Amino acid sequence: MRYRKTAGAVALLTSAALSLTVPAAAQAAPEATPCGASAMVKETLPNGTTWQLCWRINDKAGLVLDHVYVATKRYPEPVQVLDSIRMAQLNVPYDNGDTEYDDLTAIGLGGYGLETLTGDDCKGGSIRVGSDGGSDPQQRDVLCVSAEPRGLAYRLHDYQWDDESEEPTEKVYSQQGHDLVLRTVSKLGWYEYVTEYRLHDDGQISARLGATGDLAPSEYSTSDNGWPIGNGAAKDYATMHYHNAFWRVDFNIAGKGGEKVEQYDTTTTGRGSMTAALTTTHKTIASEGSFSKVNQRFWRVVSPTSKNADGHARSYELAPGASDKYEGHPETKPDVTFSQKNLCEKWASDNAADPECPLDTRTVVDFVKNKEKLTDPVMWVRVGFHHVPRDEDQSPMPMHWQGFDLVPRDFTEMNPLTPAGREGANGNQSGEETRG
Amino acid sequence: MDRFRKWGWGLGIATVSAVSAFGLASWQANAAPGTPPPAPGVAAEQPRVSHPSPVPEPASGTGSDPLTGTEVDRARAAALTPELAAGAKDVNGKPGPEYLAAELDADGTGRQAELYYYDYASEKLFKQVVDLTTGKLAKSFSAAGMQPPASAQEAKAALDLLVADPLGADFKAAYRKATGQDLSGTAGLVPTAHIYTSKPADRGATQCGKSRCVQLIVKTADGHFINVTDIVVDLSGRQVARLK
Repeated sequence: MRYRKTAGAVALLTSAALSLTVPAAAQAAPEATPCGASAMVKETLPNGTTWQLCWRINDKAGLVLDHVYVATKRYPEPVQVLDSIRMAQLNVPYDNGDTEYDDLTAIGLGGYGLETLTGDDCKGGSIRVGSDGGSDPQQRDVLCVSAEPRGLAYRLHDYQWDDESEEPTEKVYSQQGHDLVLRTVSKLGWYEYVTEYRLHDDGQISARLGATGDLAPSEYSTSDNGWPIGNGAAKDYATMHYHNAFWRVDFNIAGKGGEKVEQYDTTTTGRGSMTAALTTTHKTIASEGSFSKVNQRFWRVVSPTSKNADGHARSYELAPGASDKYEGHPETKPDVTFSQKNLCEKWASDNAADPECPLDTRTVVDFVKNKEKLTDPVMWVRVGFHHVPRDEDQSPMPMHWQGFDLVPRDFTEMNPLTPAGREGANGNQSGEETRG
Repeated sequence: MDRFRKWGWGLGIATVSAVSAFGLASWQANAAPGTPPPAPGVAAEQPRVSHPSPVPEPASGTGSDPLTGTEVDRARAAALTPELAAGAKDVNGKPGPEYLAAELDADGTGRQAELYYYDYASEKLFKQVVDLTTGKLAKSFSAAGMQPPASAQEAKAALDLLVADPLGADFKAAYRKATGQDLSGTAGLVPTAHIYTSKPADRGATQCGKSRCVQLIVKTADGHFINVTDIVVDLSGRQVARLK
């Protein structure tokens, strides 16, 4: 009886907090209750774009985002983008072959590995309290939510012919863009890792991992695979190593799921009247597989049913960032793996840690071995960073980043930030009496 | 002739130092704190996000909320069956399994907690799935050869084994070097344990994977890190081995 009363009081409190923090216009939530108020982030950026998502800390993966929706000033209806996104492994092999860590599955970014935010960790932002995901979960200051300028979102110096005055008029459209940034910090020994998601006001999502803290205090080798740091006489060669990071991305475009995966390739096929003629072809990736970037190749995840106002299928494109390939493992070579969603496939490597699941499904390579048909694809993105230590890495080590972007492609029929003066500029305008 | 040359050389030096002195002075002048920076445009300022006051953690979560403290406590009570409590052993050989982790099953229908335990008696990992609506144990699985991250108690046990072992001499020497003092006990030391699993090509400690093994990073009370990654502590066999 006492328990029930307490729960009731808490429920009241939660809904009261909700109505205080969520603007009235935003009450029409995309889904009834994807999560409670404390686990929800819903923020509107200065250009009018609203992102809404739920967050939690997993003991191994660290920060997990799910039920990710976007709405913009031009397109105020919230549309789901992601079912979830999280890290899926951080493999750190040292070049001398004597040390290797699987940081997610052998220690974990959550629980006691998760730092309580302090200092400048969340300058200008809002620190959110939540569970650290540990075995005895603690409520701590773990998530930073902030809105950060990202430079020019667009610029256009536009000339229009005014029929009345018979004079050209001109206008400069120049707009600052912003990102909604979510950030946690994990400390694994001397290294510190920043898990960061940047949700741009134009619909782009950037996922990245920052590494800082300190170099390993006793990982020294020879000039073959180390870099001399410290006093010249010391001959201490700090060992080079890789940070092989993996993310698991599960799309759910417009809440309809069942996305298709497409690969686009552009090749030089002949000559035009001035220069080379190129042809871009695409194919549907119908069954599971691992793929690597070659010149001009890209992949996109397309909704089979959800379309933008122009009737084009909504999709997100994977734009991989700079990435070093680690040749030491089969799973650290491909840039991306698409697998059929399977709840036993959790970690891009060192996966076999669930007694409900088979022992021989160890890496992304195993996930796609049977080339299952893709009807509910999960995208595993690998980004590698070969760290060659330098004198400046001490101390603390300057933050170095690795990550990738998910870019909307035909999610909306125009730039979601299009200013009023450019509203008509959709499609081929050359038939109209416009100049410029 | 000789005198002229010397004079010319002397002038050259003077000119060079005058130029570099001027360069540094002008650099410092430009960097002087008194110089007012251009007023930042409104657009460059960091916009505000909302800052909700933290509310007390509810007893139960909703949807994909993290497991609450109350939910984890209830789930642990349901997960620890009488058989497991009596038959299994923890890292120190005491009755009952070693409790490792609690995770939300976000993909199931309704909220479920997945609790992981390691049984040192059978060398098996247990996954106990508790339905948080009914509060009952819904499913149970176990398997050998699976090694999720170590608990804090396991990290502590590994450190105790290392310090008591002859191979702990290196650690003690590193401690002395880092802190200037002899190691008098493990109080104040914070160990971080990495699970170590032997891969086919690895040399040494090949039992690790079937056995539960860790490598340690130890932080001293005064903040030094002591890395002993060449040592593996086999918690199952309660032994210490050199890897490299």
